Amino acid sequence: MRYADFTPYDLVLLAQGLGVTLGLFAATTLIGLALGAALTVLHYYRVPVIGHVVVAVTELLKNSPVLVQLFLVFFGMPAFFQVNMTPVTAALLTVSLNTAAFAFVIFRSGVEAVERDQIEAARVFGHSRWQILRRIISPQAAAFSVGPLIGLLVNQLQVTSLISVIGVADLTKIGNILNLRTLEPFVVWSVIGLTYYLCAKALAALGGRLERHLRRSVVWQGL
Amino acid sequence: MIEINNVEKRFGSAEVLKRINLKVEPGEVVTILGSSGSGKSTLIRCINGLEALSGGAIRVDGHDVSTSAGLAAARRRSATVFQLFNLYPHMTVLRNVTLAPIQVLGQPRAEAEAQARALIDLVGLTEHADAYPQRLSGGQRQRVGICRALAMQPRYLLLDEVTSALDPEMTGEVLAILARLAAEGTTMVFVTHEIEFARRISDRIVFLEAGELIVDMPTEAFFSEEGGLAVPRIRKFLSKMTKD
Amino acid sequence: MIRSWNALEPHLGFLLEGFALTVAACVLAVAGAVVLGALIASLRTARSRAARTVAAVYCDLFRNVPFIVQLFFFFYGLPELGIYIGAFETGVLAMSIAGGAFVADVIRAGILSIEQGVIEAARVFGLSRWQIFSRIVMPNALRVSVRPMGSVLINLVLTSSILSTITVNELTGTAKIVAATTFMPFEVYAVLLVLYAALTYTLSLAVTGVHRRLNRGMPEAVA
Repeated sequence: MRYADFTPYDLVLLAQGLGVTLGLFAATTLIGLALGAALTVLHYYRVPVIGHVVVAVTELLKNSPVLVQLFLVFFGMPAFFQVNMTPVTAALLTVSLNTAAFAFVIFRSGVEAVERDQIEAARVFGHSRWQILRRIISPQAAAFSVGPLIGLLVNQLQVTSLISVIGVADLTKIGNILNLRTLEPFVVWSVIGLTYYLCAKALAALGGRLERHLRRSVVWQGL
Repeated sequence: MIEINNVEKRFGSAEVLKRINLKVEPGEVVTILGSSGSGKSTLIRCINGLEALSGGAIRVDGHDVSTSAGLAAARRRSATVFQLFNLYPHMTVLRNVTLAPIQVLGQPRAEAEAQARALIDLVGLTEHADAYPQRLSGGQRQRVGICRALAMQPRYLLLDEVTSALDPEMTGEVLAILARLAAEGTTMVFVTHEIEFARRISDRIVFLEAGELIVDMPTEAFFSEEGGLAVPRIRKFLSKMTKD
Repeated sequence: MIRSWNALEPHLGFLLEGFALTVAACVLAVAGAVVLGALIASLRTARSRAARTVAAVYCDLFRNVPFIVQLFFFFYGLPELGIYIGAFETGVLAMSIAGGAFVADVIRAGILSIEQGVIEAARVFGLSRWQIFSRIVMPNALRVSVRPMGSVLINLVLTSSILSTITVNELTGTAKIVAATTFMPFEVYAVLLVLYAALTYTLSLAVTGVHRRLNRGMPEAVA
């Protein structure tokens, strides 16, 4: 091993790592939220077996380490199903599913919170179940869910750091590389940690603004 | 003796108590009347040291409550019963009553518990000694509050609107106990809206109006035409309170 | 199934050792996190402004930086300071520090939930500041904190899997080795996933039990 000082190029490396982290975070958030919403609809229609399976699988994903989920997908799936799996695919798949599991739980409690109060009234007026979901439940459940969702996403941003373990060149992996090369752990991990911290703060601030905006518009409509 | 000399209390620019002077001798029952916001409760909170004085002095048996040693001594001589009970929610009735005797007075646990059980019997809560406060009705909770205060064997009992949060039936339970204590010669400073009850048990009535002590006279005089009733403000207050 | 079982069976003892290490790490880390958390929580509700700021920064920082980054910071950084402790000890330390930030928030919420009048009563009856803190404030704060504290504990168990990245052979670390030697990563990680889920599920049952015990006599709505 050779010692080497920091070079200006390390900043490019850092930026690349940050790009991978943010890109993967954005992609898994989109997929995860969409999937979580779809699962919520499935569950809402009380499809006999599927509803239970969804609940069981989400509970399993919520209650096991993301690292183990990553290993199962990255090392386990290729061996068992004879499929190719790049680190990035495995990371996308695992983190998306994980986000979906948590999003499902948040959406579902949002739906249940609305359902109790108002559904009977709507049903009496002869609306179909889909109309009730679209026109009455969804807007309110979405408003209920914004707060918890922001908390979830701030957390999932941190979860993405684990994909470095299966070799994705995200911010943490760049940290590993710089740490080994420069042997300056304090500097390297402080910079990496600070970068994550600032991202989390920015995300939370953004989410807070969105929440205020949504709440205002929901109140505006007189809900 | 509780001596209150020229006591002032300000919250920001609001003058809540203005140059109050009052003496309570051992064995006396002194009732403080006045409309909401007149400063009655603040006066109690000054005596037990929950509010710092802005001016003047309060001494309990000569101990100045504005010094920390004086306050500690004063607090051992007086005990407070609160409007909203303020029981310790994580402790049973028995532990609520024995906490201060054990921790502050250093009584042995067995002795403190025996004394507490006697008090709990006295207020008719024998079978609730091991219950948590949340399981009790408001009237029962306030009876525990009284036990907790009596367990300190205080010379002075400070009662801060102790029945204001209770319905009439529960109010009756609590007043019955207070009447008995008064008859036994317990010294009390009693802030209340229960005019009739105050008239029955008090030796003196003090009337506060907007932070000023405007009348301090024996109970009989207070309720006579030429005494308290001659003061228009008090006449108005009494007629309003008794109408409700 | 039978083939997999036969292949895995010889490694059960090894996996059990890993499990024991996971339990040890979690027990130690929980103890550390509770002690640290109680300390930080009392600083956060202290009179001194400086103390409150320090404690708030601590919570904010360690909650918003990924655990793996914190872990690497200590693992690679401590030797730089001349502090040579084993990987296991480093892991427990990092888990205690990160967990402490979460526990502090939980306890702080518990402290703030105590009615001011109850504290005033204790003051009037002559209890000292320390007596009020230890006999009134803390027991009440802990009582309402059991459930959220349980989630922190469960998160610590899941987090402990990350210790495998600094060569600690806890449950995930041993599973990694078994997966590599048996060439059955899918089976191994699938079992591991279910194991962790079972473990956290059992813990959540225990938490509910403790919560009930500590809150007997309390109406459920308050507790």
